[in-house]
Amino acid sequence: MGNALRLMAVDGAAHALGLAPGMALADARARCPALMTLPVDPEADARELARLISAMARFTPMVSADPPNGIILDITGCAHLFGGEAGLVRQAVALAAYTCRPALADNAAAARALARHGGRNTNVRVLPVAALDLPDEALAALRRAGLHTIGDLARRPMQPLAARFGAETVLKLRHILGEVASPIAPHRTLPPNRLEARLTEPVIRTEDALEVIEDLLVQAAREMEARKLGGRRFVATFCRSDNARRRLMVETGHPVRDPAIVLRLLRERIETLADPLDPGFGFDTIGLTIPRAEPLPSRQIGLGDEQEEGADSLAALIDRLGVRLGTDRVRRIVPCDRHLPERAQALEPAMSTQTGIWPVAEHPPRPPMMFDPPQPIEVIAEVPDGPPHRFRWRCKLHEVRLYEGPERIAAEWWRRKGGEGARKAGLTRDYYRIEDACGRRYWIFRHGLYDETPQPRWYLHGLFA
Amino acid sequence: MSSATVFAELVAASNYSFLRGASHPGEMVAQAAALGMTGIGIADRNTVAGVVRAHVALRDLRCEPGGATSGFRLVVGARLVFIDGTPDIVVYPATRHGWGRLTRLLTLGNRRAVKGDCILGLPDLLDHVDDLLLIAMGGDAKLLRVLNEASPGATWLGVTMPRSGKDARHLAGSQALAAEARVPLLATNDALYARPDAHALHDIVTCIREGVTIQSAGKRLAANAERHLKAPGEMARLFRSCPEAIPATQDLLSRIAFTLDDLRYEYPHEPVPEGWEPQGWLEHLVTSAAQAKFPDGLPPRYRETLAEEFGLIRSRNYACYFLTVHDIVRHARSLDPPILCQGRGSAANSLVCYLLGVTPIDPVEEKLLFSRFLSEERDEPPDIDVDFEHERREEIMQYVYARYGRERAGIAATVIHYRPRSTIREVGKALGLTEDITARLAGTIWGHWGDDVPDTRLTEAGFDPANPEIARLRTLAERLLTFPRHLSQHVGGFVLTEGRLDELVPIHNAAMPDRTFIEWDKDDIDALGLMKVDVLALGMLTAIRKSFDLMRQHGLGDFVLATVPREDPATYAMLQKGDSIGAFQVESRAQIAMLPRMKPACLYDLVIQVAIVRPGPIQGGMVHPYLRRRNGEEAVDLPGSRDNPDELREVLQKTLGVPLFQEQAMKLAIVAAGFTPAEADGLRRAMATFRNPGTIHRYRQQLIDGMVMRGYQPAFAERCFEQIKGFGEYGFPESHAQAFAWLAYVSSWLKCHYPAVFTCALLNSQPMGFYAPAQLVRDAREHGVEARPIDVNASNWDNTLEGKQALRLGLRQIGGFREEWAKALGAARKQAPIATMEDAARRAGLPARALHLLADADALGSLGQNRREAGWEARRVPPAQLPLFAYALAPELGKEPDAALPRITPSEDVVADYQTQRLSLRGHPMQFLRDSFAVQGVVDCASANAARDGAQVRVAGIVLIRQRPGKGNAIFITIEDETGIVNALLWTRDLERQRRVVMAARLMVIQGEIQRSKEGVIHLIVVSVADASDMLTRLTDTSHMPLDPLPMKGDEVRHAVHPRSSQSAHRHPRNLRILPRSRDFH
Repeated sequence: MGNALRLMAVDGAAHALGLAPGMALADARARCPALMTLPVDPEADARELARLISAMARFTPMVSADPPNGIILDITGCAHLFGGEAGLVRQAVALAAYTCRPALADNAAAARALARHGGRNTNVRVLPVAALDLPDEALAALRRAGLHTIGDLARRPMQPLAARFGAETVLKLRHILGEVASPIAPHRTLPPNRLEARLTEPVIRTEDALEVIEDLLVQAAREMEARKLGGRRFVATFCRSDNARRRLMVETGHPVRDPAIVLRLLRERIETLADPLDPGFGFDTIGLTIPRAEPLPSRQIGLGDEQEEGADSLAALIDRLGVRLGTDRVRRIVPCDRHLPERAQALEPAMSTQTGIWPVAEHPPRPPMMFDPPQPIEVIAEVPDGPPHRFRWRCKLHEVRLYEGPERIAAEWWRRKGGEGARKAGLTRDYYRIEDACGRRYWIFRHGLYDETPQPRWYLHGLFA
Repeated sequence: MSSATVFAELVAASNYSFLRGASHPGEMVAQAAALGMTGIGIADRNTVAGVVRAHVALRDLRCEPGGATSGFRLVVGARLVFIDGTPDIVVYPATRHGWGRLTRLLTLGNRRAVKGDCILGLPDLLDHVDDLLLIAMGGDAKLLRVLNEASPGATWLGVTMPRSGKDARHLAGSQALAAEARVPLLATNDALYARPDAHALHDIVTCIREGVTIQSAGKRLAANAERHLKAPGEMARLFRSCPEAIPATQDLLSRIAFTLDDLRYEYPHEPVPEGWEPQGWLEHLVTSAAQAKFPDGLPPRYRETLAEEFGLIRSRNYACYFLTVHDIVRHARSLDPPILCQGRGSAANSLVCYLLGVTPIDPVEEKLLFSRFLSEERDEPPDIDVDFEHERREEIMQYVYARYGRERAGIAATVIHYRPRSTIREVGKALGLTEDITARLAGTIWGHWGDDVPDTRLTEAGFDPANPEIARLRTLAERLLTFPRHLSQHVGGFVLTEGRLDELVPIHNAAMPDRTFIEWDKDDIDALGLMKVDVLALGMLTAIRKSFDLMRQHGLGDFVLATVPREDPATYAMLQKGDSIGAFQVESRAQIAMLPRMKPACLYDLVIQVAIVRPGPIQGGMVHPYLRRRNGEEAVDLPGSRDNPDELREVLQKTLGVPLFQEQAMKLAIVAAGFTPAEADGLRRAMATFRNPGTIHRYRQQLIDGMVMRGYQPAFAERCFEQIKGFGEYGFPESHAQAFAWLAYVSSWLKCHYPAVFTCALLNSQPMGFYAPAQLVRDAREHGVEARPIDVNASNWDNTLEGKQALRLGLRQIGGFREEWAKALGAARKQAPIATMEDAARRAGLPARALHLLADADALGSLGQNRREAGWEARRVPPAQLPLFAYALAPELGKEPDAALPRITPSEDVVADYQTQRLSLRGHPMQFLRDSFAVQGVVDCASANAARDGAQVRVAGIVLIRQRPGKGNAIFITIEDETGIVNALLWTRDLERQRRVVMAARLMVIQGEIQRSKEGVIHLIVVSVADASDMLTRLTDTSHMPLDPLPMKGDEVRHAVHPRSSQSAHRHPRNLRILPRSRDFH
């Protein structure tokens, strides 16, 4: 709102202190300096509301959202299943696990008005005119006319009201009074991707079971294609005739729906099982669920785009290695935006990361792999920041023939206590690329400038191939 | 590495390269001199805003003892950053002509851009390249050839050794390039800060610039801390393989003849008629005015003063300045109707100004000295600020532009510094602290801290000052606090030149259309001896002018500022009672409380009153000594030095030994501490612009030592310094206080004798002053003015006077009403009175909104309709139709069923008055709650004020003002009910306990103890506060039941109460804003 930060919502404690939505943050803090605030996130709110709506489906199929923070349940014919209306309300509030303001009424508009404006009232006629959700100007006009409640309006002829505030106001009023029906448009949730094959004859061989899975995968692929989805997680459930069940899960780095790929991953999974799949007397029910799916548009069949295929096959390789070795153990190096070399790259699980774009090097080349920790070496060099002449590494002396540098990199002062002070930032490093008499190239650094420390140490940080 | 290395850093940025440089210009100069360089070149990004500071710093450095700066040179230029991909080029003007080319080039770039940017391409530089020396900071052979052709022999290629790991390659490449293009190489470190320890600060400003946190800034930060000024020996070592680049700096330096001292200033000649010399014309004007004023000949004292002033003006060649000011003032008075104006400032002490009519204060009478200590010893132009009516100042500004031309007149810049709140926010954000923490820190700052962050503030906010994160935030914020942030335009300081202004200084576009401002602020202008005329806006002048107009219209007399009767006893009697609501400067609560103690009886008492009741003197502990001495409870003790026990008498006698004005502080320093006038001037600067680095503390020791050495008690010296420091921030020069005191007197005189006129004029000049219309009207009614309600058949846009003592409220009091509607109504009324609402709609062409506002404001009383009926009827006209159809339909709206609206209650009427006009003539909301308060034993304000000293009372009222002045030991709360106001005082130590109530309550019940001073000033010392704001809802929503409090359970943020509906998202549940907001501190 303008430049001022404002409160969008407050919790019970804040409300009790007199804080309210719409108040400027500065005002609120002046009243309550210890106020905790979080930035507003309407998308997350909408997601949470959607989740609650799905959850409410257990009480009635007729659930609809009343954004930004309301849910309307049409419980006609449902209440008796939950111990009557009061019981249903109690259970619904408990399920929501939020501070709720439930209200019951004969129609949706009245319930909504009671919930939002009613306190503990059950009679819509005592509700304030604010329940009509009119613009502030119109509300002020009604109050100025001495009309404060819905009842005040309901008692009077509708025609003057319509002439002043529009026919829709009268319609809203009639909705609340129940004179006109106010149906809701229920929210429909899509069924989860769950397929099941019940077999008349239990299958004994794993191979046969996998064929059943393949059928299910083909079926799922069709459904997913129609919904432009691809699975990231596939769970196969094998139910034995003696009621034992076994679940196998595979994950992929990218959404897929090609049955062959998933099947191959499942095979890998079965092969690497420490405790092999035991069909016993045979599986009589085999299920497939796809709990995690992501958008995957259908792709034109390639006219030989090798690069894409290369990326695909690398992804497939990562998936397969992940299934065999565990997804955490397959990693790739990703670039990080930092100056310090050991922080400028990181190892991340390959499945969950994209190939990073390596920055075009502004600094001189660095070795791809670095010693961790850097190896101490003994160096004879010019002071203060001249090139090294020779160095000893692993007891072996190397003569420096060529060098380039120094590349000076300061320590990250903000990571040290008091690092913002003069000479407290930590030791600066001077990196040199050097070549010894045998033509081998090294990457070494002096840890500290001479005006930072009297006896700086030298380290070998990497080898150039 | 010989010490004989001759090197000058020629590519150095200061913090006027906003969010890039990390040192003050002065620091750069001082460090370069300390490192033994032969010179430094300050070149900021597309600006020369910082160069005057560097220039002044060097000048100060030369003054300092032991400043081994002989031969050290400062050259000034700019670093041009292009938008067409050309690498940066640093340019230095070699001559005055070159400077003009550079400033015109920058002006060109500035004027192309929307505010704050500078859009330049390489061709622009090539067009302005005369007498400029160029250092290309990169580029290819083609660029260098182009530059070298455009400016032969004046192009260098700058090379740096930034320790990037590729320095040697880069240098070799540059050497080859330079050889190919035949330009010399020039060694530089491209410095961004003076010393390596500014590295952290530089990283922080980088983060602020990029809008990132330090943790995520990555390679946007510099890899190392190498871009500081490096000693010549170190530079020679770095450039071992290219030694010729070092002496190249000397070559360049020796080619520059220009310094800022070459900017000779010439006053514009417009105000001098043909055939006259400026001095002669000035003397002619003044002498004729003197003859008019003293027809019997000038008294000797005046003659002496005038002769002395003429001599000074002649020797300094200031005649044009006085003539220019006179010209502007004369123009303002020549308009029809004339614009009221009044001068103040150091030169306004002069008899010349008085006789020219610039000031109303007779300096001989008031024994003001024509700034002997301000102007004689230092070569600085005189200073006159002229206040104009705030509603009409723009006319004056446009006159100045028109008379002198846009290329010769510009407004001075104001350097906007970092403010504590924003600094904490931005540094905290850059350090990755959450908004929550920084807001909490920033939120605890009351007013501002000056230049450091005391521990207590942090502890108050619940932070441990020893916490490393907090310590870091504080260290960095403190350093950034002294930094300039951006340039903005000064409120009204014009710089006028005889030649082209844009050849003197670059010009920027201001945010307002038709405004331009120059790059230097008033200190820079002072330092270079340029002339500035301040054209300022003052609301009270508008109100006074409107008062005079009303008096003339109603036959109450014909006055101008200078002819108001002086030293009117009735006026002083009124002020002595503390009855000053609405009067200029003396209407604030602190002033009102002081009036009965000061008992002003002459104009000079008002001068002191205006000067003393300010945060500075209050903090400096000057008020009580002064009062005690004035009331004869304490002897006026003026210590003297050993040699001359009376030497301070002359300085401090007028103010009973308490230094109150800037002039006195300077005089004190000169007389008692043996300062040279230049040092005293430095002290004045330090006082005036306390944010400037190298602040007042430098003078502390000097002042105290000086005074002790000359035989003063150390304690007295210490106290003097504290007092000077205390008022430094807010201090007044005496002539300002004089000018303000005169307006305070005139406004008080109007209030005393013509309360209706004065209130009417004040209301018509809103927004201004300290009080809301409701308090002004109430005060007027208490003084016997009859206030009449707004009526569609009687009210104009402005409030008007009916008869001599009746005030008719105007349509402007209706929130949201427009002036053109009021005009249309007035025109329609001329034909025939408005008879019905349809009449108003049709004949005055008022839209539906205007009718709604009129009806809700109950302005249709003369039509026989009360607010409720009128509002109901007004809304019937279909809102969204073309007027033509609306007219066609209007008669056919015809009959409708009677809505039988409930009768309006008096309390509803009062509340609606407040909602629509922010005041009510019918009553006060509190009177409807009186009974329920009375039952609880809560008394009204009048009874509280009548209670004996020490009485315990409970009193309730609407909160008008919450203030936390000065050091914030106490919070002042003013509450109001139907009987008057009560001033309550809450000690800060008692605040935390009831903070929410104190800050949130709109209707407050205060329990406390009445304290009466012997002068009769009454305060209620707060013991506890209760919030009764809920009572206000009773005034209107009688029929609807209040909501039950929600059954809240969670204390987690997750359990959130959302706004009740999207439309009321910004309203409180008690959403009826019944009263205007109080004026609060944060």
